[in-house]
Amino acid sequence: MTSSPALMIEARGVEKWYPNGFHALRGVDLYVHQGEVVVIMGPSGSGKSTFLRTFNAMEDFQKGSIVVDGIEISDDLRRIDAIRREVGMVFQQFNLFPHLSVLDNLTLAPVKVRKRPKAEVERQALELLERVGIAEQAHKFPGQLSGGQQQRVAIARSLCMEPRIMLFDEPTSALDPEMVQEVLAVMQELARDGMTMVVVSHEVRFARQVASRVVLMADGEVVEVAPPQQFFTNPQHERSKQFLSQIS
Amino acid sequence: MASTAPLVVRASPLRRLQKELFGSRLDGLISIALLAALLAAGLGFFRWALFQAQWAVLSANSTLFAVGRYPVEQQWRLWLLTSLLALATGLSWGLLRAFPGSGAVRALWPRNDRWAASILVVLALWRPMALQLTLAIQARWWGIAALLLLARWAAGRYGPAIPQACRRLIPLFWPLLYLVGMVLISGGLGLVQVPPSEWGGLLLTVLMATFAILLCFPLGVLLALGRRSELPLLRWGSVIYIEFIRGAPLITLLFLGQNILGFLLPGGLAPDRVWRAAWVLTFFAAAYVAEAVRSGLAAVPAGQLEAARSLGLPMPLALIHVMLPQAIRVALPATVGQFITLLQDTTVLSLIGLLDLVGTARTVMANPMFLGKNAEVYLVLAILFWTCCAALGLGSRALETRLNTHSPSAPQA
Ligand SMILES: Nc1ncnc2c1ncn2[C@@H]1O[C@H](COP(=O)(O)OP(=O)(O)OP(=O)(O)O)[C@@H](O)[C@H]1O
Ligand SMILES: [Mg+2]
Repeated sequence: MTSSPALMIEARGVEKWYPNGFHALRGVDLYVHQGEVVVIMGPSGSGKSTFLRTFNAMEDFQKGSIVVDGIEISDDLRRIDAIRREVGMVFQQFNLFPHLSVLDNLTLAPVKVRKRPKAEVERQALELLERVGIAEQAHKFPGQLSGGQQQRVAIARSLCMEPRIMLFDEPTSALDPEMVQEVLAVMQELARDGMTMVVVSHEVRFARQVASRVVLMADGEVVEVAPPQQFFTNPQHERSKQFLSQIS
Repeated sequence: MASTAPLVVRASPLRRLQKELFGSRLDGLISIALLAALLAAGLGFFRWALFQAQWAVLSANSTLFAVGRYPVEQQWRLWLLTSLLALATGLSWGLLRAFPGSGAVRALWPRNDRWAASILVVLALWRPMALQLTLAIQARWWGIAALLLLARWAAGRYGPAIPQACRRLIPLFWPLLYLVGMVLISGGLGLVQVPPSEWGGLLLTVLMATFAILLCFPLGVLLALGRRSELPLLRWGSVIYIEFIRGAPLITLLFLGQNILGFLLPGGLAPDRVWRAAWVLTFFAAAYVAEAVRSGLAAVPAGQLEAARSLGLPMPLALIHVMLPQAIRVALPATVGQFITLLQDTTVLSLIGLLDLVGTARTVMANPMFLGKNAEVYLVLAILFWTCCAALGLGSRALETRLNTHSPSAPQA
């Protein structure tokens, strides 16, 4: 084969039990290539968040293997920190640091972790805020912003670490309907610029327009992986049909 | 809602008072009875304070109450330290006004400051005279008060002109002053040694309280983190420590400490009774501070740590930059409450034979010349402690509002 894009996430047979014995992931596989946008869907409790969080070692797992950007996830703390520097994560609840200004939210990690000069990081942070459309809020505190603005700051905060992969866990689920679009627009632009993204989301329109592939999870397993066109118009599995009928 | 709410007409204060005190017949009767009782007590108090009380017990022993048996020929060191403290206080006060929290207006002498300055002037003029101090000593107090106000004015006036780079060094002034103060008080570096057994009165009380307050805070934070640690040894060690200390009365720990601290701490740290007592106070308060900080940590949403960790911050940095600033803000009122308790707890030191303010009072009253003058002495001590605690409380509230103007939001859900 001629140069196919590099493999950014390679998860093989991942199994996870929570400490209480719950079998949350039952042997899941996923391959994500550079520049791909993979959207994970599935009913509540199917293990989407758990799976996503294994990619930056926020959750551990007991069987299988995950290689992220060439680094195999293991218990080695140094490798975990290395992976987290390469992988950005955006949460449903934004999780901005309320005691820091918007600008300081962005610059904290690059300055403290990557040890970059503060002035340079601030310039980059202002550019990023410009890109997500809230440069004029740089000196406000998170509590003074709307939900949509907060989520855009959270995205900019992750980007400021210059990650090679971005993970999104239901980034629009906590937003009022009128703010969903402004966040999706930012994500769409990010995808267009070639960012590798894994997105847990039930936004069908976004998945249709942006996703390279859609993954359906149920009961801790991957049920179906298909290009969005095929997934939404002609799902192969009974479980997928059932799920699509529920969300539409 | 605002548009439909009825307009509340503000009654004049006198009217309001009348309504609150004499709203109904029963209210009126109760109010009259209470007012009469208050009036009688007040009159009685003034009769006692003006005609019966003999304040000579205080003026005759003012040095003893201030510094204990600190050698007279070395007392200039304490005057120097007091002047430095006044200077630092004035400068900090002025700088706080020069750089108010975001949103606040900058004013050279806000109203509260004019009040504080006036009280300071009245105290400086009246108190040394009331204690019938010699003119030389009165003059020193006037000088110190003038120094404080002058520093306050200069820092407020010229503070904004200080370059950014130097400004960050200013807070270091206080720890530096603490070290200088310790040398001035205890000697060394060419100064004659004054052993702790000769410190006493207000000097000893303040020294004990500040030492314990400064050290119990970092220790308490470490214990709170230890209690949440994933390492079982650290976690259980912290739990046992905290629960043991909180379950034991301070006085038992003080006696215990006198006997065993000499073995527990490296020799240089607890060489004598005074330092052993200081460490016990510190260790005692740390357990309570730990509980306050722990509740603060519990109030920080779990997502904060996740976000910090997912950005690649290692655990120590995540704690320092994300968790602790939020936790300490929540824990601040309880922590300052603990500091106030600590200040009052120093009075227990008299029970193990140290001559703090209360210890000094006990020795003074054992003197046949001043027999039966308990009321005068303890009233003044109570007012002194109350003033210090009120100042701590005011400071903490000012800090809280300052922190809140910095980020007006409550933490998001
Ligand atoms: N800490 C935990 N301990 C035990 N079980 C857990 C824990 N966290 C999650 N689970 C369980 O694991 C399963 C998968 O959870 P997960 O959060 O990954 O689901 P999800 O697909 O993201 O659901 P949702 O759409 O509601 O976010 C759920 O049944 C949940 O109850
Ligand atoms: Mg989830």
